[in-house]
Amino acid sequence: MSMFEDIPVDVGVIYEGERIRRNNMQIELGGPKQPAKFELVRAKKMDEIEDEKVTIIGPDLKDLPEGGNVPFGILIEVAGKAIEEDLEGVVERRIHEYCNFVEGIMHLNQRYDIWIRVSKKAFQKGLNSFTHVGKVLARLYKSELPFIEKIQITFITDPAKVKELHDQAMDVYEARDAKARGMKDDEVDTFYGCTLCQSFAPTHMCVITPQRYSNCGSISWFDGRASAQVDPKGPVFAIEKGEMLDAEKGEFSGINETIKQKTLGAVDRVWMYTGFGYPHTSCGCFEAMAFYIPEVEGYGIVDRGFKGVTVNGLPFSTLADSGAGGRQVDGFHGISIEYMRSPKFLEADGGWDRIVWMPQSVKDRVAEFMPETAKTNVATENDAKTVDELKVFLKEKNHPVLQRWTEEAEEVPEAEAEEAAEGTMFPVSTATVSAGGFKIIFKNAKIHAEKVIIKREKPKR
Amino acid sequence: MTNKGLRVKAKELKTDIALVKGLELSVGKIIDDTWEEPMGPTPMPHIATLRDWDMKLLNKYKPFYMPDCDLCCLCTYGKCDLTAGKRGACGLNIADQSSRIVLIACSIGAATHTGHARHVVDHLIEEYGRNYPLDVGGFNVDVEAPVTRLVTGIKPETLGDLDEVLTYCETQVTHLLSAAHTGQESNNLDFESKAFHAGRVDQVGMEVADIAQISVFNFPKADPEAPLIEMGLGTIDNAKPVICCIGHNVVPSVGIIDYMKANKLDSKLEVVGLCCTAIDNSRYFDRAKIVGPISWELRVIRSGLVDVLVLDEQCVRTDCALEAERINAPVIAASEKNCIGYKNRTNDPVDEIVNDLVSRKVPGVLILDPEKVGEVAVRVAQKVAPMRKKLSILPSEEEIIKLAKTCRHCNLCQRSCPQDLEIPAAITAAAEGNLKPLTDLYEECIGCGRCEEACPVKLQIHSFILKAGQKYMLEETNFCRAGRGAVQDIEIRSAGGPIVLGEIPGILAAVGCANYPHGGKDVYDICREFAQRRFIVMTSGCSAMSAGSYRNEEGQTLYEEFPGSFEAGGVLNVGSCVSNPHIAGAAIKVASIFAKRNLRGNYEEIADYIHNRIGAVGLAWGAYSQKAASIASGFWSLGVPVLVGPHGSKYRRMLMGRSDKPENWEVYDARTGDTVNVGPAPEHLFQTVETPQEAMVAIAKLCIRPNDTWKGRSIKLSHYIDLHKRHYGRMPKDIHQFVRTMADVPVTMKDEIKDILEAKGWKETVIPDPTMLPRMIRSKKE
Repeated sequence: MSMFEDIPVDVGVIYEGERIRRNNMQIELGGPKQPAKFELVRAKKMDEIEDEKVTIIGPDLKDLPEGGNVPFGILIEVAGKAIEEDLEGVVERRIHEYCNFVEGIMHLNQRYDIWIRVSKKAFQKGLNSFTHVGKVLARLYKSELPFIEKIQITFITDPAKVKELHDQAMDVYEARDAKARGMKDDEVDTFYGCTLCQSFAPTHMCVITPQRYSNCGSISWFDGRASAQVDPKGPVFAIEKGEMLDAEKGEFSGINETIKQKTLGAVDRVWMYTGFGYPHTSCGCFEAMAFYIPEVEGYGIVDRGFKGVTVNGLPFSTLADSGAGGRQVDGFHGISIEYMRSPKFLEADGGWDRIVWMPQSVKDRVAEFMPETAKTNVATENDAKTVDELKVFLKEKNHPVLQRWTEEAEEVPEAEAEEAAEGTMFPVSTATVSAGGFKIIFKNAKIHAEKVIIKREKPKR
Repeated sequence: MTNKGLRVKAKELKTDIALVKGLELSVGKIIDDTWEEPMGPTPMPHIATLRDWDMKLLNKYKPFYMPDCDLCCLCTYGKCDLTAGKRGACGLNIADQSSRIVLIACSIGAATHTGHARHVVDHLIEEYGRNYPLDVGGFNVDVEAPVTRLVTGIKPETLGDLDEVLTYCETQVTHLLSAAHTGQESNNLDFESKAFHAGRVDQVGMEVADIAQISVFNFPKADPEAPLIEMGLGTIDNAKPVICCIGHNVVPSVGIIDYMKANKLDSKLEVVGLCCTAIDNSRYFDRAKIVGPISWELRVIRSGLVDVLVLDEQCVRTDCALEAERINAPVIAASEKNCIGYKNRTNDPVDEIVNDLVSRKVPGVLILDPEKVGEVAVRVAQKVAPMRKKLSILPSEEEIIKLAKTCRHCNLCQRSCPQDLEIPAAITAAAEGNLKPLTDLYEECIGCGRCEEACPVKLQIHSFILKAGQKYMLEETNFCRAGRGAVQDIEIRSAGGPIVLGEIPGILAAVGCANYPHGGKDVYDICREFAQRRFIVMTSGCSAMSAGSYRNEEGQTLYEEFPGSFEAGGVLNVGSCVSNPHIAGAAIKVASIFAKRNLRGNYEEIADYIHNRIGAVGLAWGAYSQKAASIASGFWSLGVPVLVGPHGSKYRRMLMGRSDKPENWEVYDARTGDTVNVGPAPEHLFQTVETPQEAMVAIAKLCIRPNDTWKGRSIKLSHYIDLHKRHYGRMPKDIHQFVRTMADVPVTMKDEIKDILEAKGWKETVIPDPTMLPRMIRSKKE
């Protein structure tokens, strides 16, 4: 017996990619033409909700003008013993997924940016009331997120009401974001682990904390919390933080124990806030790579979208390969873009004071969260294309890494002298040997080597 | 990597410390082994090195033989009757003989691609030197030759390095073919294992050919936005002289295009092509046009559009030259492998050759120098075009009606037609003045011409169909994206997340020839269906053309409708036949990029990884050739399932899994060493299907892999169930075999499937870290 027998159109994940073009649309809800539109989930008390009730404020689908565009809002209220305000965002983001499951509905974006189209074909099949959509959402929510015990859904097309609730929603988003960003690793007892990537990278495990997103950028601490609640045996699970072993580097006994177990001992120690020592492992699908540039003692960042070579002459593909595959490699650290917005971002290494280079596009994305000094101090491909140019740039800006250079600066001439000696090794050695007072004489010597194999010597650390 | 030897002789050498007389210093081989990746266990495998791995697959997917012929006629003891379990004079039974034919077919295929690669590489080394660097994708491709690294353990950096790789391939092909001699190998699975090896060698040969031509001819380098190329008979500008190149080897065409460019003629003539030469021409020159797949060869020639026909190698109809004679179009044979009986004019003065061809003194010439081919083709086309006036040999409609009346109604045309098209009815209707049924045949005909050969009154039936369908034929104006070459390492990284999270349910590779059961639209429909479902769709060769030959309701071809990148809903044309290793290469690179597995000479481990993890399926809907057999074999040995259309049954065997035998579906969980039953995933390794609908259901199901995350599995199952319900009208009966935990069940089908699971007595199991190799079990470190 299907869950959606009474819905006039089909419902399934296969409709997720469905695109509805202007010519084929019955109605457009929200979208760029509408200043006010929203979707919002609120946690309520059990007695405040009438389960599976669907309310429509304003004209229903069948009464909206064909081919038209109207203001729109979706308000979903949920209740349950395990429901807390913190989970609102996680529940809210599923509206997008679930609406798209409905044949003939295309849902784009989230929050105050939603853009929905209903196809003519679906409308003609009988999808002419929001009640149908409400029923689908209610059933999917209750089946997928069992912690939702009661749910009621309101669709709003009345312009005044949309405006009113939109303004309230904006306040809720703002407060939610402020709370999420303000949450600290120190303030929670539980982190989350994710081993989804083990299907391709069998030794990788992500540790997700309030201040460190998953490497792929798609799982926040809140998402982790919701997933672990829904499916306790699943690939996302709670990690008891345990004892804090090193506050600065971010070492916790709980993480060490869990990662040892989940990676079968391949990794048994993790420092969360540094790219050295025991850095968080890198899977394959991290959004960006932080790579150490020894010449300037700072980190460069490069993301997947960057097409050229970075300041050290290597492209993303090569740098990514240096750290990927669930390994801990000093100075090569896969990260999400969101982690760059966190105060814990490479904190133990100096945080933003240690970042020297990144693509302009990444800088633009995280600018809002960069300290003022870093905004001018961090070079992009427009400022420096080589390490030498970067050195000049950093000196010009008096970048904090310069303080680390002082001791080294004295060593530089020595290193150069050594190099020069290498270049002139032959005459020197000849002189030395002849001083030993012997001669080698070969007569009719035939030397044959079957194979000569040239190997690169591992550079000394 | 490797340079030849070194030899130094010194008669007398005096320095402060040494006096040397008559010194001879020689080094056999200097190997630059600065590649730090450690060598795996099987570099340059011989024909039995990977036998254990092959046997693992062949025991899981046992060959099911469907002999096309019950006799063996290879030696003079024969013909031997092998029916009903009988053995032949040499002792071979029908299973052995069938697998032996598979080995021979795959060896021919591997030899063809390797020979092609050898010609390209030798030519390019001669022109550009051994040290010419390879570059297939600039900064975005780190692993330049994944197949070559995997099989041979060589990391090629220059053209010269490819020489050594090919020497390996040539040795293997020789051994493989020798194993097919009468009176040797006596076990069908061993023949099959050798056929797999031919597939591996074939993939290397193809990769070498393509990375050489990409690097030197500057083809699109792993470019998702490679240009859109005009395709179809309707795109040919009739007012210009037309040079038509047919075959697979781009080198002679490069000669033509270079000559045109050097003489500022590139907008004055049309260079069009069929088969893979067309694809590779358009990778070299974006104004080259693609006529269509192999089945368009008779169409374009008989239509009279061709002024000069240049034939190279592979998949060239052997009657092309005869057909060209009928329309007064001179022919240039440009390949040693396809000399057509013409006189070798390679060393003759160009003026003389041009005169002989223009005056029709000779119908064609053999020229084995690509530059000379270029000059002769262009000059002859310019002179011949005004004389020929696009002479067509298609009859007029009146002639068709008149000739159709002579039909004897013997039905031999239909009986000889591989598609069983209803030709007699169409001829009868034509005799009555109604050409509509003939017109309808145009779309389904694959242009083999067998009907004409069968006709006792010599009716030019194929020409009748072309004339009746001429309106459609000349309206063929579509787009094919120029072959992009490799998939970027970065694209693979970006797709990793969506694959893990199930947003990309699988990868469909539509490859190979155009012996389709009902024309090319099936390929288009299947590709579009899966692109819309947000699978990654990869195409190559004639299938890449067919995929681009139809338009959606908004008038866009597949390549305009979907992005050309390796992402959910992307449609990527990798290129010609020899570009197929980029598809295998993408799968190989997943192992290196995500799990940091070493590729170098590490075939078994990587194949095990791919087989158990990467939901890729090959579809060769119109496969006809021995090359298609070896291409498929290269995918089998990596554990990637391949589907073929109904004509594929003539490859004589399938590799079928037995879903009714639970013991066949056990893998090790590398985490624990436990044996876990993962269900029939993927169910078959090589399978024939009869209809596009059946293919769609099978593709969705064959993307299922043991490592699927629950999210990925639930989405894969959604597609499988949806397609099954759509095309078979009911829920699949084996759904319980693919559910491991309730989280695998598609969200919208929970209630329905719960009932089924209960009825089947389903039990929850675990998602393992799957492997078929005991050595991959990780012991827990303390």
